[in-house]
Amino acid sequence: MQSCIFSIMTPVFSALQQLYYDPDMDKKNVAQKWLTQAQASPQAWHFCWALLQPDKVPEIQFFGASTLHAKISHHWSDLPPGQLDSLRSQLIAQVGQFASGPKMVLTRLCVALASLVLHVLPETWPTAVPDLLCAFQTGEGVTEADGQARCLALLELLAVLPEELQSSRIPASRRSQLRSALAVDWSLVCSLFQQLLQRPDAPCPIRERVLRCVSSWLTLGIALKDSEVLLESCFALLKESDIISQPDCQRFADSLLKVVPQVLGLQEQLKKAVQDGDMETSHGICRIAVALGETHCRTLLEQVDRWQGFQALVSMIMSCTGTPGHYPVDETSSSLTLTFWYTLQDDITSLDAERQTLYLQIYRPVYFQLVDVLLQKASFPRDEDYATWSADDKEQFRTYRVDISDTLMYVYELLGPELLRNLYDKLGTLLTDTTHPSSWQDIEALLFGFQSIAETVDVSYSDVIPGLIGLIPLITANNVQLAETIMFTIGSLAEWLADHSLMLASILPVVLHGLSNPELSVACVSALKRICRECRHDLHLHASDIMAVSQAVLVKDIHKSPQCMWIMQALGFLLSALPSDELLGKLLSLVTPHIQQLEKLANEPPSSANKLLIVHILGLLANLFSTFDLNKQSERLEVMRPVQTQPHNDNPVVVVLQQAFPLIQTILNKWLNEPEVVEAVCAAFEKSLKTLLHDFAPLVTQLCELIGQMFGAYPQASALDLTRQLVHIFGCEKDLFSPITALLELITNITISIFQLGSRDHPDVVESFMQLHTQVLRRKSDLYLSDRLDIKAVFYCGILSFKFPETPTLKATCLLFTELISHCDDIPVVREVLQEDGKLLLQTLLEAIGGQSPSSLAEHFAEVLFSVSRNCPSMLSLWLREALLPPGFPSSHLTTEHKEHFCQQILREQVSKRRMKDIVKEFALLSRGLQGTEYAASY
Amino acid sequence: MAYQLYRNTTLGNSLQESLDELIQTQQITPQLALQVLLQFDKAINTALANRVRNRVNFRGSLNTYRFCDNVWTFVLNDVEFREVTDLVKVDKVKIVACDGKNTGSNAAD
Repeated sequence: MQSCIFSIMTPVFSALQQLYYDPDMDKKNVAQKWLTQAQASPQAWHFCWALLQPDKVPEIQFFGASTLHAKISHHWSDLPPGQLDSLRSQLIAQVGQFASGPKMVLTRLCVALASLVLHVLPETWPTAVPDLLCAFQTGEGVTEADGQARCLALLELLAVLPEELQSSRIPASRRSQLRSALAVDWSLVCSLFQQLLQRPDAPCPIRERVLRCVSSWLTLGIALKDSEVLLESCFALLKESDIISQPDCQRFADSLLKVVPQVLGLQEQLKKAVQDGDMETSHGICRIAVALGETHCRTLLEQVDRWQGFQALVSMIMSCTGTPGHYPVDETSSSLTLTFWYTLQDDITSLDAERQTLYLQIYRPVYFQLVDVLLQKASFPRDEDYATWSADDKEQFRTYRVDISDTLMYVYELLGPELLRNLYDKLGTLLTDTTHPSSWQDIEALLFGFQSIAETVDVSYSDVIPGLIGLIPLITANNVQLAETIMFTIGSLAEWLADHSLMLASILPVVLHGLSNPELSVACVSALKRICRECRHDLHLHASDIMAVSQAVLVKDIHKSPQCMWIMQALGFLLSALPSDELLGKLLSLVTPHIQQLEKLANEPPSSANKLLIVHILGLLANLFSTFDLNKQSERLEVMRPVQTQPHNDNPVVVVLQQAFPLIQTILNKWLNEPEVVEAVCAAFEKSLKTLLHDFAPLVTQLCELIGQMFGAYPQASALDLTRQLVHIFGCEKDLFSPITALLELITNITISIFQLGSRDHPDVVESFMQLHTQVLRRKSDLYLSDRLDIKAVFYCGILSFKFPETPTLKATCLLFTELISHCDDIPVVREVLQEDGKLLLQTLLEAIGGQSPSSLAEHFAEVLFSVSRNCPSMLSLWLREALLPPGFPSSHLTTEHKEHFCQQILREQVSKRRMKDIVKEFALLSRGLQGTEYAASY
Repeated sequence: MAYQLYRNTTLGNSLQESLDELIQTQQITPQLALQVLLQFDKAINTALANRVRNRVNFRGSLNTYRFCDNVWTFVLNDVEFREVTDLVKVDKVKIVACDGKNTGSNAAD
């Protein structure tokens, strides 16, 4: 063995040399790989000690210590029998050796020792903790280091012990066994910590290390009563400013049940820290107060005889919420407190009715105060200050305001409409008080409060909304943020306006006025869209105004493309609710300018600028048609006039589309090779198809021809998707189906020829093709009874698609086969192809499961196998074993036993899809050599 | 430990696929892959807790709910999702929710 170690030492040293000092990255990587392998070898148990020799540099010693830890934590079972005692004593000796440093080596060794303790506790070495305490306290036979160094080494060990328990992957039952074993030793450890903390001459590093140990041990779920004295000592330390910023102190929060007075005692310190701008200290104290409040809210709330203490804590937290200055530039503490207010509210509202009434008397005023504080915190800083903020600060402030908004929304549950009244009164005062001109920030904050609540809560119970709507036009919106909040507030009231349509007249002009301001684009257009969506049945009187302003801003190009699309959606809602005699005229006046522009573009030579414009205009039409839904309108009319006839024979959208058809054809002829244009055309039809549904019938024949031409000239996925929609909607209509059938035959033949030429460059076409045929099988499987549709060819295309690496393509292929196989009884040709080439299908599937496709898709392949097992079990029993027969197929990791076991399981499974998925998943992991690894367990 | 539910997202799945490939070609060990996944869990939990504030409102009728192992599950029918500008209607939605309060701050430590 000795010679063996010597022979490996030289390459280890030279690899370490390369790893740490060689400038060449490639060499470093090779060295790293080699060292990882060396660590895994059995010799590593021996060479690690040589690396720890005092004459070695710290990097090499560190690698030695890491190797030890790796061996103990991951290769414990390799430890030769009878070696435990010597490993243990050697390791303890090494910890002693490195007690005075270097720190990184000491920590690694302590982690290794902790890992060892966790392997042998409690059976083999029940007294591990007391033994180690004793060894390091006396130092006899362990180390010659001085008292303080030994103490620090021991504390390092005690700190990492519970951490190692947390971080290593141990089965839950073993973890809880270890936790209880360590908890038994707590009294001993606790008294050591206490002694160290109380020693007046204890140096600061020792105290800090003790605090770290305590917080580490508290994660073991130590009983509080055993630790009270220790916690008091910890609190005494909090008063020392150099320790307060230790993050560990804040973790004591779990156990602060009985220490409210001590937390309250920190108030003066908090005040001073806030005054001095000492953010670190104020943040720390704030965390302690919040953690106590959040964790023990219910318990403290129910301590009726101690209510004053808890109330004082609540006001302390309130003062943290209201920390002066702006988040996140001047302070970062206030955001910590928000969750506490939810917790307190939940705890109050879950009390029994009698106590709730009592508590609400006390806490309603507190929550009203909270609203004031939150709105103050949500208000924007002065313009000149805000201008100096970084983009990151502004983004943080935005998310902070959303958090405040969520809190206000929740607080409304407690305070109810009175909260809105309160906000309304304040807003009224601000806007009407002429003696003190108000800042835009204050007005904005109040509106923000309204909006936060109205966004999600039904405000119909509040009587102040009409007043608010009366106040909004009085606001001089001389600032973008304020104007945006006004628009968002109006948008949030859209549902309310639907029930109070008289108020629309006073609020719509505000929105329409804002529409011409590009700075307000998102806020204003979204307000318009929400109003049009919710109030479309009451907008008749305003329709002309809305249309005129919208048309004007669209023509002037004021908004970016997405906002133009929203405007069209808004207009779609608006138009669809107009009386039928006005519909066509209004629709034509809206679309004509755009269609004229499209005509002009169609006649110009193609350029990239033209392409963008064409796609934009087609997008406008698609968005208009997506919300122009007369079926919804008639649903509403049916309530009033049950004799409404359907379908709409001359649906205006159909009229427009029919008129525009030749133009669309002209455009396509020119732009056929541009996927964006083809997609935009398809999207326009798809959107209108989705809303028109059966009203689309007059266009079906024309559209089928168009799709055929498009696909014939340049096959694209969007054409297949549009065909799928047609199959979906008209699948059951005999009269209309013949053009669809013809189209289906045509595009199937074209796609098959793509497969023949090599389909690898078109995964999206393949995916859409698979989806299309899945849809046909679902909606109209009798089409496959005709010999004009070659389902066998589709089957072979599917086999080829299984080899694609694209996940969506594979999923679509799995779906097709699942559906196809389920038809093996009713479509003879399906049965035939499965009989002929079922083995090929199984081989392909097994190859995919066995490593060719991502293992996350295993469950989709399982669905196909399950469908085979359910619908044609004879095929499975015939082919499965044979398919698996070749050695090394589908993976070299599989033995004959593995395969046999898999066959037995699969052949048995016809009932549970879940079970089938588990079997396939296990097989997929086995094939990748991953079975049994922790990594695979995390799948 | 951070929640692992985000592994079943596009990002998580892609990461796992890449890790699988690296293990297959013996460029990394399964142990390292696991560490990467754990790091991913931590990072995505923190990012979603701290960096995202997009809000979507929804309403629907509650069909089933359960609270098991600290995980809430709700099954809703006829749900309307409202984002500021969009409204989406869905027949059935399953919501799986864990307590996000601790993950963000723990990870931040």
